Amino acid sequence: MTVLEARREQTRARYPDEEGYVERDGVKVFYEVYGEREPTVLLLPTWSILHSRHWKMQIPYFARHFRVVAFDGRGNGKADRPSGIGAYTEHEFAADSLAVMDATGTETAVLVGLSCGALWGALLAANHSDRVLGGVFICPSVPLAPGHPERDVHSFEDRLDTEDGWAKYNRHYWLEHYEEFLEFFFGRMFTEPHSTKQIEDAVGWGLEIAPETLIESHEALELCGSERFSHVCARVRCPVLVLHGDEDALHPLARGAALAGATGGRLVTLEGSGHCPHVRDPVKVNLLIRDFVESVA
Amino acid sequence: MSILEARREQTRARYPDEEGYVERDGVRVFWERYGDGPTTLLLFPTSPISHSRLWKAQIPFLARHHRVLAFDPRGNGRSDRPTDAAAYGSWEFVEDGRAVLEAGGAERAILVGLCDGGGWALMLASRHPATALGVVAIAPFVPYLTPGHPNYTRYPFDEPLDSGEGWAKYNIHYWRRDFRGFLEFFFSQQLPEPHSTKQIEDCVEWGLGTDPETLALADDEAPLPWSSKEEARALCEGVSCPVLVMHGELDQCQPRERAEAVAALTRGTLVTLEGAGHLPQARHPVKVNLLIRDFVASLERRTP
Repeated sequence: MTVLEARREQTRARYPDEEGYVERDGVKVFYEVYGEREPTVLLLPTWSILHSRHWKMQIPYFARHFRVVAFDGRGNGKADRPSGIGAYTEHEFAADSLAVMDATGTETAVLVGLSCGALWGALLAANHSDRVLGGVFICPSVPLAPGHPERDVHSFEDRLDTEDGWAKYNRHYWLEHYEEFLEFFFGRMFTEPHSTKQIEDAVGWGLEIAPETLIESHEALELCGSERFSHVCARVRCPVLVLHGDEDALHPLARGAALAGATGGRLVTLEGSGHCPHVRDPVKVNLLIRDFVESVA
Repeated sequence: MSILEARREQTRARYPDEEGYVERDGVRVFWERYGDGPTTLLLFPTSPISHSRLWKAQIPFLARHHRVLAFDPRGNGRSDRPTDAAAYGSWEFVEDGRAVLEAGGAERAILVGLCDGGGWALMLASRHPATALGVVAIAPFVPYLTPGHPNYTRYPFDEPLDSGEGWAKYNIHYWRRDFRGFLEFFFSQQLPEPHSTKQIEDCVEWGLGTDPETLALADDEAPLPWSSKEEARALCEGVSCPVLVMHGELDQCQPRERAEAVAALTRGTLVTLEGAGHLPQARHPVKVNLLIRDFVASLERRTP
């Protein structure tokens, strides 16, 4: 029994109309389809620290208006957990996304991605422009602008003599104090007051991936450099909407602004929001995304 | 300008269609009307530890179909803060409710109240049966009907204590020292559900709309409406309209036996809310709203 099955899943506001697995090179990812009205909104996975339930405030709403496809990215949820850094690059996630589109009969879709979902979302849009109607990137963690300086103080690989703050973002700390790391990390993800429920949810999802696997997925994402990603962005032709919280403590607003600039997209700054405005201010975000989807469809 | 007006009030899902004051014996009480449906609901406030915003998760929903009247208790919100204990007697709040009903243009209403307000709703229904189509009493406070919750008798209220821990904060000397600290403790007890930080923050803010001396007048010094179990029973038995009682199984303010007794003596229905504390209307609004809606619908069916 997997960790996921062992936990009793929370009830959902809406259940999928269809679900299944798609396999590439022996790695299976799990997808769900909700609703049927075109266009399709493809909710991309993000870093494997979360799985597709982080879209739980979007799915029931979007499914009333559109066809929604969501999937658990490799490393978490009901997807496989391959080993090796090479299994977690942006290219693998982009290829999984395309495979899910094929498996669900999705000719074209509007992509919606959180954080590093922008890495594979942009790649998919650049390489398969005929399949992508538009892209919405929420608080993109893209290497187009410097990150927060406090995240650059400590080494990820070396054993540290402190566990304070961002020193917890460290492979040794993860291996020895994984849950404490998750609590710290999601505390920085949800900086808005009254986020205890959202933090609790996220910690539960984060516990579904082993720290050893999370380390590999982290190291894979580190390989995506600014020069390479800038070239990808320059090839994105579809309409792009970037939503970014001005209090995002994980990735600064400058990164969202840079992605909007690099793709010719529009930036909407969400005042007072942290890194997951779609979780913490779902009504605002849902309305912005719905307007965008209707405008590009 | 009062403290309440000086703070920037939170935005509301719905704003009143009419507001005003009623005045009784020189004490002004502020009321609001929302909606204009055929059935009126009068939402009683509770002790001046809170005010009418305590119903903020009910008003927008109920006002879609009904005429909803709410008012601030004397001692908090935009109502006056009289300085004599007698002005905070239970019957004063009951009569304030009756005056609001008249000012809001309703002859009868479904009376809804929580804790003290639940008791006041029952009192109004018992003394003036013609005004009450029904009563919804959430965690009702009916003194003497059963023993009170043990939390309130752990420590004396008006003696200086060595401890300021736990329920020792329910003490006038502590209130004068750290009223906010008391409110934070008190509402964390009344909202034991996980993820209640917003509701606690709201309640603390509303509590800061009054002050320790006013609250002590209302909650400690004001005379109780009767002094025996028999009188409490007679009051409940005198309620002739349909009654719905709700009680959270984790309630730290009113004992379950009291809610059971109210339901039994009024021939009403008791709904126990699993996992809920003392303020289910704040923390479980959908469940509470639907229960109220269904209760109202059942009364509208029987009204010619």
